[in-house]
Amino acid sequence: MTNTLKSIFTSLLAFALVAASVPARAQLSIEIVGGGASQIPITVLPLAGEERFSQKVSEIVSADLQRSGLFRLGSQGGARPFPSEASEVDYRYWRNEGAQTLVLGRVIEAADGNVEVRFRMLDVGRQSQLLGYAFKVSVPQLRVTAHRIADLIYEKLTGDVGVFATKIAYVVKSGDVFELQVADADGHNPQVVHRYREPIISPQWSPDGTRIAYVSFEQKKPIVYVLNVFDGTRRVVASFEGSNSAPAWSPDGRRLAVTLTKDGGSQIYMMNADGSGLTRLTYSQSIDTEPNFSPDGRHILFTSDRAGSPQIYRARVDGVGEPERVTFEGGYNVTPRHMPDGKAFVYITRTEGRFNVAIQNIASKQVQILTSGRLDQSPTVAPNGKMILYASEISGRGILAAVSSDGRIKQRITAQAGDIREPTWGPLTNNRR
Amino acid sequence: MKNAVLALCLSFIVAACASQGQRAEIEQRDLFDQQQAEQQREAARQAEEERQAEILREQEELRRQLEEQQRRQQELAQQQEEQPVIQPITGTGEGETRLATDPWSQLQDDSPDNLLAQRSIYYDFDRYDIKDEYIPLVEAHAKFLMQHPELNVVVQGNCDDRGSREYNLALGQRRAESVKRAMVLLGVNDRQVEAVSFGAEKPVATGTDEESWAKNRRSDIVYLNEPE
Repeated sequence: MTNTLKSIFTSLLAFALVAASVPARAQLSIEIVGGGASQIPITVLPLAGEERFSQKVSEIVSADLQRSGLFRLGSQGGARPFPSEASEVDYRYWRNEGAQTLVLGRVIEAADGNVEVRFRMLDVGRQSQLLGYAFKVSVPQLRVTAHRIADLIYEKLTGDVGVFATKIAYVVKSGDVFELQVADADGHNPQVVHRYREPIISPQWSPDGTRIAYVSFEQKKPIVYVLNVFDGTRRVVASFEGSNSAPAWSPDGRRLAVTLTKDGGSQIYMMNADGSGLTRLTYSQSIDTEPNFSPDGRHILFTSDRAGSPQIYRARVDGVGEPERVTFEGGYNVTPRHMPDGKAFVYITRTEGRFNVAIQNIASKQVQILTSGRLDQSPTVAPNGKMILYASEISGRGILAAVSSDGRIKQRITAQAGDIREPTWGPLTNNRR
Repeated sequence: MKNAVLALCLSFIVAACASQGQRAEIEQRDLFDQQQAEQQREAARQAEEERQAEILREQEELRRQLEEQQRRQQELAQQQEEQPVIQPITGTGEGETRLATDPWSQLQDDSPDNLLAQRSIYYDFDRYDIKDEYIPLVEAHAKFLMQHPELNVVVQGNCDDRGSREYNLALGQRRAESVKRAMVLLGVNDRQVEAVSFGAEKPVATGTDEESWAKNRRSDIVYLNEPE
């Protein structure tokens, strides 16, 4: 195995998103404001030949790993040229440089205009190969290929699934204009998929990553739409009398839970993803909203003020039995979102006038407050459960921020202009897992 | 009535005494015709009496309503006089006469004692009950809507942007519904009032302090087709 490369020819076309969308003006920038206690040392060398392309693969890989807060990037040393094959590595030199894990490779232009990206990750101490892959891609796919390489490195060294190649969606408010944007998880390549002069809230990626359900006020009242991000087609799925909001996808992507006021009061209903087959799920005199499916699809968590203040409840999706209250600390607990393993959920809690992201274990009921902003809201969990993206503010301006599920690593994501809010983290892409 | 009974008795006597049966029959028929006409006149008289009574009752009801209105106006005037501000003595009374000709002028009369020019009800955090100080405002609009069944309003519920946007959307709906319910309880036709929510999405103040938040926790009464 030592010197072999695995070839990956998978269709990366899935990343060529939204023919109908337009590039957004404001690029997002991510800044790390806290780090893990113990960081994994890694040395990423420039790939031979990558300098001929605008997307420098090794720089994107390094940025991904560093942003995760779990890695410490080592010195690239003074020896030139950089090795690009395992046979060229002087292990004693790299041991002296303090390197433990070395990433190297090359980008080769093929005759058909495509490129081959070859990379290896070597264990310097054992002088052995940990990873080796070759990707044949088109030039515009260099960026996502770099994210894939970062995912492979992350998975090998941490044991968790990497999410660098996933997408996020969020709402940007600039003046009176609201834009629903889709971007890479590192904030690059933002695309506007819906723009209107009325508010947009509650976007939610479908589990297969092809659609986004969201609420738009463009008809002067909240209506739930489902947008196909690949072909730009859009469908109204809930437009009943009163307000229609809070869409949540079932894990199989075939059903939606929504909040409607058509029968008086905000109550939770279930429907097929095309808006057909409506049935009512909750029956109360109070506000019931913000449904979120458990990963096994059998339960929802939701927000209800049936006990006087907003608290989080758990109900069976088949409607059997009474909803069970799950939060008890504090007078304001809202926006529940399951962790991917189904064992815990994150939500927004109010403590001493601040609104923060908290995580609660379902079995032990143990609570940990993860953030310290004044007005944090709308948490969304990365598909590997390691990071939570949420909306926050700095001196009155909306920003996104992220925190690791253990609360140690913190990131801040800002747009060049406008208020950014309502994030939703997309799923792992279809050729993963 | 007595005459009819008397005539009837008389006719029987006549019939019994009559030697010629045919003549008696004719007389009897004449008497019956008379009796029927008498009965019809009596029914008409009764109907007229009932109609008069009904008119009196309606007049009485109108008078009572007018008194109630005057009493409310006096109360409102009294409340306003209690405030340490110099108020013009005219106002609501004058508005009452103008109202018959142009409802918008009364709605838009920006003299400080015109409650109809005030359109917003403010709330505490995570609350949707109408505070005592806003009850006269809701009553004034309810009365106005009752006087103008041709007018319609939308009550728009709003929240500050803390917490959850979706919970705030539901809370804004509650705020709007509570104003609508109060108006319907006061007698406004259910179909004249629509309750909608903008949640935290349409703030009038964008600051992140209690002063701004307080301005955003409100229901707005918006008259449809109201001229600028």
